[in-house]
Amino acid sequence: MSIDPLLRVESLCVSYASLNGNVPALRDVSFSVARGEALALVGESGSGKSTVALAILGLLGSEATVGGGRILYAGADLARLPAEELGRLRGNRLSTVFQDPFATLNPSMPIGMQVAEPLMRHKAMPRQEALARAVAALAEVGLSRPAELAKAYPHQLSGGMQQRVLIASALICEPDLIILDEPTTALDVTIEAQILDLLDTLRRRRNLAMLFITHNLGVVNRICDRTCVLYAGSVLEEGPKDLTLHRPLHPYTQGLLRAVPQLGPRRRARLRPIPGHLPEAGMLPKGCVFHPRCSHALGECREDEQLLRPLEGGMVRCWRADSLPRAEDGGATAVDAHAAPTRNVLLDVQDLRKTYALGRKIRFGGPHLVRVERSEVRAVDGVSLTIRAGEVLGLAGESGSGKSTLGRCLVRLIQTSGGMIRFDGEDVTDAGGAALHEFRRDVQIVFQNPASSLNPRRRVGATIGRSLDLLGNIPRQDRQPRIDALLEAVGLPAHFANRFPHQLSGGERQRVSIARALASNPKFIVCDEPVSALDVSVQATVLNLLADLRDRLQLAYLFISHDLSAVAHIADRIAVMYAGAICEEGPTDAVLSRPNHPYTEALLSAVPTVNDATKEDSRIRLRDGANASSHTPTGCRFHPRCPRKIGPICEQKVPPVVSPSEGHWISCHLPVEELSLPAADVKNREMA
Amino acid sequence: MLTYVLKRVISIATILVVLSVLIFGITQTLPGSVARVIAGQFATPDMIAAIEVKLGLNDPFYVQYGRWAAGLLHGDLGRSLITERPIGPVLWAALCNSAILAVVAFVLVTVLGIGLGVLSAVRQNGFLDHSVSMFTFLGISVPEFFWGIVLILVFARWLNWLPAGGASEPDAGLGRLVSHIVLPSLTLAFALIAHVSRMTRSSMVGVLRSQYVRHARAKGMSERTVIMRHALPNALLPTITVLAIDVGWLIGGVVVTETVFAYPGLGRALIFAIERHDLPMIQASTLVIAAIYCCANLVADLLYAFFNPKIRYG
Amino acid sequence: MVSALVEPRPARRKWRLPVTLLVGLAITGVILVLAILAPVIAPYPFDGMNILTRLKPPSAAHWFGTDDFGRDVLSRTLIGARLSLLMGFGATFISFAIGVPLGLLSGYASRTVDEMIMRAMDVLMSFPPILLGLLILTVTPPSIWKAMVAVGIVYVPAIVRLTRSVTLEIAQEEFIQAARARDDDLLYILFREILPNAWPPLIVEAGLRVTFAILLGAAFSFLGMGAQPPSSDWGLMISDARPYLEAAPWVALAPGLAMSLTVIGINLLGDGLRMALDPRLQAGKSG
Repeated sequence: MSIDPLLRVESLCVSYASLNGNVPALRDVSFSVARGEALALVGESGSGKSTVALAILGLLGSEATVGGGRILYAGADLARLPAEELGRLRGNRLSTVFQDPFATLNPSMPIGMQVAEPLMRHKAMPRQEALARAVAALAEVGLSRPAELAKAYPHQLSGGMQQRVLIASALICEPDLIILDEPTTALDVTIEAQILDLLDTLRRRRNLAMLFITHNLGVVNRICDRTCVLYAGSVLEEGPKDLTLHRPLHPYTQGLLRAVPQLGPRRRARLRPIPGHLPEAGMLPKGCVFHPRCSHALGECREDEQLLRPLEGGMVRCWRADSLPRAEDGGATAVDAHAAPTRNVLLDVQDLRKTYALGRKIRFGGPHLVRVERSEVRAVDGVSLTIRAGEVLGLAGESGSGKSTLGRCLVRLIQTSGGMIRFDGEDVTDAGGAALHEFRRDVQIVFQNPASSLNPRRRVGATIGRSLDLLGNIPRQDRQPRIDALLEAVGLPAHFANRFPHQLSGGERQRVSIARALASNPKFIVCDEPVSALDVSVQATVLNLLADLRDRLQLAYLFISHDLSAVAHIADRIAVMYAGAICEEGPTDAVLSRPNHPYTEALLSAVPTVNDATKEDSRIRLRDGANASSHTPTGCRFHPRCPRKIGPICEQKVPPVVSPSEGHWISCHLPVEELSLPAADVKNREMA
Repeated sequence: MLTYVLKRVISIATILVVLSVLIFGITQTLPGSVARVIAGQFATPDMIAAIEVKLGLNDPFYVQYGRWAAGLLHGDLGRSLITERPIGPVLWAALCNSAILAVVAFVLVTVLGIGLGVLSAVRQNGFLDHSVSMFTFLGISVPEFFWGIVLILVFARWLNWLPAGGASEPDAGLGRLVSHIVLPSLTLAFALIAHVSRMTRSSMVGVLRSQYVRHARAKGMSERTVIMRHALPNALLPTITVLAIDVGWLIGGVVVTETVFAYPGLGRALIFAIERHDLPMIQASTLVIAAIYCCANLVADLLYAFFNPKIRYG
Repeated sequence: MVSALVEPRPARRKWRLPVTLLVGLAITGVILVLAILAPVIAPYPFDGMNILTRLKPPSAAHWFGTDDFGRDVLSRTLIGARLSLLMGFGATFISFAIGVPLGLLSGYASRTVDEMIMRAMDVLMSFPPILLGLLILTVTPPSIWKAMVAVGIVYVPAIVRLTRSVTLEIAQEEFIQAARARDDDLLYILFREILPNAWPPLIVEAGLRVTFAILLGAAFSFLGMGAQPPSSDWGLMISDARPYLEAAPWVALAPGLAMSLTVIGINLLGDGLRMALDPRLQAGKSG
């Protein structure tokens, strides 16, 4: 690595004009990226990390002003460079990959053209040659049949493929530095793992510098060398990755690490959320920007502006940093004690199916000359499971696996296409009228998106009250006390009943959703990705609340999430779902360790963790494939992507169920002994 | 794509059939018995009864409709009650006249409407944007017929540059033809230019704010490339839909404008027919106008599907 | 996915009213007041004929001159304002009263119901607006009330479409799913959960529709299919003035300018409302 950094940001200040005056978005942000180095810019929402990227590129809108500081690149100050010259640098020496690949690609332009464009512009390459190079670039990022793909349109590609296309277009002019703004956040975990591997390989091959913006500390651990932690527009800590992630300097970073569930032996450890909430953009606290939430705050923290100062090889903005305890496991954290329930079966699902008709296409050919093809998607394809009272069943899977559909079927929000649901002994599959009403009392659902789970035009109290009125059986005089009690049960003060949703934060709204679900005294709650849309520091609060309620009220949950760490934290049993069916199910400990279904194995190896010590070779690589296609493969659903595929038997015969231990079963043709060995030790088949 | 085309064609054909039933049904069977209307205010019951027999008005509805529809399919649009002459040739001549107006107006609308819309979006909040904005605002606020009358006042009466109405004789020169078309087309186009340019502007502004345009800039593409090759193709897609809606306005406008300028087109024929209670004429001209509108919509749908990769390539 | 939430407690909402809204409100307000007070402040009755003062240009006695029957144009214009505004709001009310419930149902109820309603709307929309109105008006002796109903019906499909599309969006929201999960009934969900969230785009559309209705209604009167003589409906006034256009342009200019001004005022009001209701301009978003 060279001595002079490639990019150096010095004391950058950016503010936005808004109705409330000039609001600072970045204050005194400084960091540097050396040639060939990967720097992670870590922060939650509102931290300003995207603003940093846009400022470097000169793409801030007209509402933003760069107030001070410099952005030094190759000797020039980008903040003061004329637009023309900045345009020549962008895409050429400095390129970008944004978050949502589908929105970032032009829907009306073929892929090949979008990748070739920068060449034509910056290297004055003729069109044909540029297109040929584009095809080569597509191959380099691991896309198969690149020549065909170059003529396709973005909507014909999957998310992972789209992101690879973006990476190809970012690298085609051989830049020095690439800025990536949450490039894998919108992708499935297994695809994310592939993209991260790809980025890592490309970086080493080309000695590329990376500015990697993310909120996921596991991803930071996987791919970056140094970390820079951003909070409310200020850099709080900067340093080598090992320092920041394993012996963090700043209380905020420490808090973040404690608040995030981690796969591993400490997965059940009680999470410690950071108290308080992110400051409003225009109302930053005086003195240290983090002090209102900091458990170590003293008088000086409230008064004096803190400066970045070096400590142990990194930089930190906290004058107390060297005197604070820094063990990663800050104090003894109680392991969540939770007796495995052995009570009666509450929910019994047999062979549940849900099929969606996709529409008809008219095709020519066949015996009658014109054929009408009906395509359908089997979102849930023969799922059977049981849940006992007080038990948490975690449902893990990626997008398109059908887990959300399954959850909604269980709550009878969606009409099933086949199979049976038995609740508390009664068959409720087609129940209506009074029986359905009873069912709704006992079974409720909590949704994912706090912005959409509450009616914006009704006060919190009215929303909860409506549920009480419909399902609660409460006499008039008990109504208000009951609403207060419900709010209290979720940790909110009673006067919140008068607030509108927009006056609450995301975590608070989610808690109101939970209170609403509790209004009818249910026995079973389906939690559909309840924390996925929340900030990292807030997720812990809701997870803890769910765990507490489970213990206090003997609730059973179906906890649906794509985040395996969250599932592992709270679930007693885990079911792994793929393409509409469950491929593995068992007690959490059993599912998290070998033997596993090949898909579970791939999932576990793909999840980026902070403590990841696995070597690259043992990482399972899955081929890209559409998860829910209208052509469900015959035999085992997973065979098109399975790294352990045996051969034709996987394509033709539905796999049997094998049971390595009590209560744990796996659906695979391979014998248990082979599934117990790591994939790397097994002879790999040819992968296309 | 093929599936889509077939579905749309079948849909339009069905709608046309339903339309014909509706048109026939409303005019033929609604209150104010047809025969009474034709016979006039001073008719005696005998006269009314005689007319009813003559026109076959006592037959059940489906028989009357069947007769009419069968005639249509053979190209016979019936006979005018007033002139007693076949409707077909009359409508055809009127249609040609209206078509000239409509085509000229449509070209104006497309070129000026889209052009102004794109320009104002690209130079948002500039002087051009604000002037176009004021102009289009007037365009959607001033009633068409009033605007036509103002034009007549200014250009025909006071300045005496152009004729106040009517159409030129078929064999008169191009100059005379054009002079009769200028004012009506401008009237027709005014409101529509305003409409189309506003929608194009807003579509373009939305596209310029999109992530993929930002990304094109992040790749360092020149502003010209960004606008012409990235923004425009996506912004114009909804404009196709808008133009289709505007064909409807155009047709509506044709009726009013032709009345203002006494221009012998389809619209004026319809109004005359209505004034004189010429039932077959009303039915035939309404159906023709509606059919043209449906076909225009179909063409717009197909164009949209062709240019939208998501539909074209499934 | 990064959380979309930023500010926890934007308890205060700063409303800065756009200029367009204020100007539009002013113009519309003035016209509304004039229309309401018209019978009181009009100097002459709208049908007061006086052969001696035919086609006189504007003067102190007659601010807008007189028409070919000697009637005072100013008074007629003032009274005409009532008719136009009535037409605009009345027709819009009709189209919303029919269209909104249909749209709500179409967007939320079963697919079959949706298909049926949309097919019916497709048929109605296959008519160019004027044509549908003319069709309805040909078969009975025309009057301004029938014109109002016709205009209302003509705009029903557009309202149904808009309401339906807004309803479809809102029906995806999780709080609607939650309402279903607690066994809430259909009418409650439609009118107490969905509709209160649907009104911003509907209000904006209503503003636009009022202007369309005024213009379309006036067009019908102009063609002789709406208000009948001796009514002082603006469209009818302009049509009546055509034979004397060169001799006495004020007879046509007065109602025409009045109508344009009214529509401009309502359009400004509508634009201003749209800008005020745009969520982007409320609590500022940050990066």
